[in-house]
Amino acid sequence: MLHTLILIAKLIRESALFALTSIVANKLRTVLTLLGITIGIFAIISVFSVVDSLERQIRESISALGDNVVYIQKWPWTFDTDLQWWQYANRPSPRLRELEEVQRRTGSVEAAAFLASTRRRVEYLTTSVESVSIAGVSADYDQVRNFSLHSGRYFSQTESSAGRNAIILGYDLAENLFPNTDPIGRSVKLFGHNMTVIGVFEKEGLGGFGDTHDDSAVIPIQTLAQFINVDQDRYGPFIMAKPHPGITNAELIDDLTGVMRSIRRLPPVAENNFSLNETSLLTEGFDELFAIITLAGWIIGGFSILVGGFGIANIMFVSVRERTSIIGIQKALGAKNYFILWQFLFEAVLLSLIGGIVGLLLVFGGTAIVVSVFEIDFLLSASNILLGVNVSIVIGLVAGFLPSWSASRMDPVVAIRSTA
Amino acid sequence: MIRVENVWKSFDEQPVLKDISLTFERGKTNLIIGKSGSGKTVLMKCLVGLLEADRGRIVYGDLDFSAMGYRQRRVIRKELGMLFQGAALFDSMSVTDNVMFPLSMFTTMSRKEKEMRAAFCLERVNLHGADHLQPSELSGGMKKRVAIARAISISPKYLFCDEPNSGLDPPTAILIDKLISEITEEFNITTVVNTHDMNSVMEIGDKVVYIYLGELWWVGSRHEILHTGNKELNDFVYATELMRTLKK
Repeated sequence: MLHTLILIAKLIRESALFALTSIVANKLRTVLTLLGITIGIFAIISVFSVVDSLERQIRESISALGDNVVYIQKWPWTFDTDLQWWQYANRPSPRLRELEEVQRRTGSVEAAAFLASTRRRVEYLTTSVESVSIAGVSADYDQVRNFSLHSGRYFSQTESSAGRNAIILGYDLAENLFPNTDPIGRSVKLFGHNMTVIGVFEKEGLGGFGDTHDDSAVIPIQTLAQFINVDQDRYGPFIMAKPHPGITNAELIDDLTGVMRSIRRLPPVAENNFSLNETSLLTEGFDELFAIITLAGWIIGGFSILVGGFGIANIMFVSVRERTSIIGIQKALGAKNYFILWQFLFEAVLLSLIGGIVGLLLVFGGTAIVVSVFEIDFLLSASNILLGVNVSIVIGLVAGFLPSWSASRMDPVVAIRSTA
Repeated sequence: MIRVENVWKSFDEQPVLKDISLTFERGKTNLIIGKSGSGKTVLMKCLVGLLEADRGRIVYGDLDFSAMGYRQRRVIRKELGMLFQGAALFDSMSVTDNVMFPLSMFTTMSRKEKEMRAAFCLERVNLHGADHLQPSELSGGMKKRVAIARAISISPKYLFCDEPNSGLDPPTAILIDKLISEITEEFNITTVVNTHDMNSVMEIGDKVVYIYLGELWWVGSRHEILHTGNKELNDFVYATELMRTLKK
């Protein structure tokens, strides 16, 4: 048994060497044959890498937003077909005083925060940055929204409730205003007033929803309320509510619905005039979108691979024809059918695999360029590399089987005759 | 020793071999001669199992080759060395790798052992130092010698040579013939050579078999072939002006 296994292993090795020699001997033909597989693997793995990267960014963004946080807003994230757009437009926006009611009257809410935002110029000495997104947030913002501070601290309870002139800068904004200086403790000018920088957010990068703190600044909502009417529609006010541990989103939504209807004194027959948005609604939508993009990737790349597979099958038939005499001699000198089968199958798989690896290298190069030029977190994952390699091997096996099988079944007399 | 007993072979109901019976003796160079289309190549292919005889038996030693299945025949195949017309080396492989090929197919020898065996065989055919060369770097005579080294690499009991000196100049052809004859005696092999070259016949023909229109027409030695009164054989032997002049 061991003797047979050793012999088989040796024969496979010999087959591989024959295959390798043939590939090296026909370089141009090899390159041309590989192109189809290369393009196919490049297309599929590129799409998958893009989808994976986007998906990961979106999930990270959702995680940052809080995947169990419910947003009380005027507009829903997914539209109900029973309502017209103007019915949504006529709804009132959430108001700051409603936050207090929500906090006081709901039993399921652990923390809730109000947020309104506008755009203003921020100045430090002679440096200024135009149109910075300024978000006014209530005290518990740090409990419902996940973020890290690069330096400094979050607002104290006093700063939040008293509306002190304190500001936390986004990382990029801080870099622009204070290129060579530590901004903590320094004052920037906003709304014509000095605001003391008490913290700088950690660099977050571009999130899936563009919801990064990097270019923005955050001040207490009571501070913002001194300059603008934060309840106004144009400032996009909304309330974020996070449930106690063990409370499901459905329970939280039930609770919030009842409380909000009560706050707004809606009669039982009236429709809700607010929307309760969950981040899970976003992920569901994206799941469908990504499924479609993935399918498109398979279809586009699949056709390329199909063409590549036909190319390999074609070239393998040519190779078998060219090497008919060699097959005959090999058989006459003792080569068994499976030796010939392995030889050509190995060649087909090797061809396909080289094509796939070149495709993966192109994707790798592409991702490196995208990451360096656009600073986007774009990665060729190990699972996608494995997928590319596996697809290549399978295509090689499928495309190479018929030519290899026909070679292995060749009559040695006929094969040898082609030498004479 | 190989015994051929009443072998018949036909293609499309046209008989190519008709009731052939003869013996190829061990340690001797046995030559099958005949005109093109006489059936000598078909006989050779029947002997090595590349074609199946319609009737009759081929017996290797005590083993009835004709009655054996594929797996059983593999035992005998391991003892067959084959020298193809035109050398038929693998162009993509070095001389050593060519010689080692049958060893890879039939044995579990390590690479080192195979290399040693290949070196011995190449030495024996006077090709010492050519082990690393590619077939494209060899002359016609050297290719034939590599092919002989490959054929004897598995220490065959039987050696089949199909037109071993075709395409070679006369001095080189004689060298190849002599090499085959020497190896036959040295390793006590049953050698069967398929040829139509009278130089080969006169040089190494221990036993000469003349096939005419698919029939065994004459059997004898190289010493007897010039003095037979057989008309068909004489037509073959004295087909050239040189032979006719020599006869006179």
